Amino acid sequence: MTLELDSLTHRYGDELAVDDVSFGIESGELVALLGPSGCGKTTIVQAITGHVRPTSGRVRLRGTDVTDTPPESREVGIVFQRSTLFPHMTVGENVAYGLAARDIEPERREQLVDEYLELVDLDDQRTALPEALSGGQRRRVELARAIAPQPDVLVLDEPLSALDRALRERLRDEIARIQRETGVTTLFVTHDQEEAMALADRLVVMNDGDVSGIGAPRTLYESPPTPFVASFLGRSNTFSATLTARQPMTVALGDHEIVIDGTETDRPTGSDVTCHLRPDALSIRPSGSDRALSLPGEVTRIADLGRRYDVTVRVEPGVELVVERTAAPPTIGESVTVELPSHALSIFSGEENERLTERAAPEARSQFDDPRPQS
Amino acid sequence: MSLDRSTRLRTSSRAPELLLPALLGGLILVYFALPFVAFLSRTGTANVVAGLSTPAAQGAIRNSLLTAPISTAIATVLGVPLAYVLARTSFPGKRLVEALVILPLIIPPVVGGAMLITAVGRFTPIGSAATAAGVPLTDSLIGVILAQTFVAAPFVVITARAGFGAVDERLEQASRSLGYGPLATFWNVSLPLARGAILAGIVLTFARAIGEFGATMMVAYNPRTMPTRIWVDFIAGGIDAIVPLALALLVITLVVLSAVQRFGRVPTVIDE
Repeated sequence: MTLELDSLTHRYGDELAVDDVSFGIESGELVALLGPSGCGKTTIVQAITGHVRPTSGRVRLRGTDVTDTPPESREVGIVFQRSTLFPHMTVGENVAYGLAARDIEPERREQLVDEYLELVDLDDQRTALPEALSGGQRRRVELARAIAPQPDVLVLDEPLSALDRALRERLRDEIARIQRETGVTTLFVTHDQEEAMALADRLVVMNDGDVSGIGAPRTLYESPPTPFVASFLGRSNTFSATLTARQPMTVALGDHEIVIDGTETDRPTGSDVTCHLRPDALSIRPSGSDRALSLPGEVTRIADLGRRYDVTVRVEPGVELVVERTAAPPTIGESVTVELPSHALSIFSGEENERLTERAAPEARSQFDDPRPQS
Repeated sequence: MSLDRSTRLRTSSRAPELLLPALLGGLILVYFALPFVAFLSRTGTANVVAGLSTPAAQGAIRNSLLTAPISTAIATVLGVPLAYVLARTSFPGKRLVEALVILPLIIPPVVGGAMLITAVGRFTPIGSAATAAGVPLTDSLIGVILAQTFVAAPFVVITARAGFGAVDERLEQASRSLGYGPLATFWNVSLPLARGAILAGIVLTFARAIGEFGATMMVAYNPRTMPTRIWVDFIAGGIDAIVPLALALLVITLVVLSAVQRFGRVPTVIDE
């Protein structure tokens, strides 16, 4: 484990910013720390870089406890959301800055500066001052500066959030390439779930100081372990229902019962549950073609988003499901049936927010899957 | 229709938008400039060179040129670190410390001087010990320096503090993470980036120190500095008698100001 956070907790006065967070990053891995603003991401970054001494818990780098080690004695590279290039130094001097603090001969240092500027494709800007660079170029210089001393871990704290969309996507690919080429162990901190999913080998999803889920992006997306992950990672239809049977698990939404084959639970029947459904997993059929996992309803709204339609279907008073659809949509007011593949249904207990549906493995899932053509 | 007209009205009234503030600002500018012009117009009648070549004037110039830079240096060496601490940390009682920094600015210098006497005067424990050791703290150049430092040091503290405050703390964090300790980071990053503000503060402090009169008069009426000499000359000979030294004082301050602006590349005195 290159970086390991062990029960990290931090309070600012009475306010609990980070609550018992533990996760690790393997060598060469790119892990995204994902969560809405104010969820404690920045405090974690500060604890890793050493600018915050956590209230409790340990930070380990390559097995060594560095919790009480000052920032300059940790091998952590950092890129912040806003540029921290030293404005009074040239691009080359900025990149050389971290190298000069280590015992690297001047000749070798110059060579390394060239190498890393080449890596970010800015070798022709070596003598430029940061103010002469574009926003994207500055980001790349900062990347070069942060990884030139070959840190144990590279921490990127919202590195793309201050950029416009086109540049953001371009730099995202650039970061992926640089990470691949250098193999630097990276923690990518972001509030943007698309960015996180596109880049990361693994996600650590945070909410309100807590870890809400850790895992591969697709696993977390398809089988969210908590309601927060279900709603934060991608879009989600959320509704409350009542547990009516334990084996197979059956939930009631109004007059409708949804039976999920191959599942069981030890929750008492009659307890409240929360259900999450991905809009892209749902499909619409003409009314009347009822199956076990379907809900009849009425189309209330259609949004044309170009590549797809978002069809809103009211299945119960107060319960509306958004269904993504690429084919021509039904008309408003039409009665339809919304089909729910069982694997797309995430059910959480009402109080503890514990996931009740199994985390289906892909092969296990296929047997529940409807052999229907994708609409 | 009516909408159209109101739009037109607004555009037509846009041109003299700055008229009122410009007029008011112009008034105070005239008020600043008037005494200068009136005073300088007297230089023709007074013999500046002769006035400056008297031993008394020479001594005053020498004393001022010796004490003001020392006071400024002391204020800078001790004040800039204080400014950095104030810009970077919060601690219980910080408000009190900040009030203490401003205190010498808001009390009349002559009162400040009186307070200094009560602290380091000849008959106080500190003062008598210093006198016994052969370094009297009043009526000496050291007394002048004490008075100047007391009155002028807040300028460099306040200005440098604003300068450090304008330096993004993340730049310092980046420097730390790149392998530099707090001192090296201060030296390599914070200090160069706050340089403009610090230099501006130094200029203000120097100008205040070399022109210091009230506190100096109380603590060290002798040996004479340029301002105390000017006072003595004024009592004896009126306005025309002080023109040479006043002019010299003005020139010294302007030279220092423009030198710092040129070599420090500071666009204006307070731009931060």
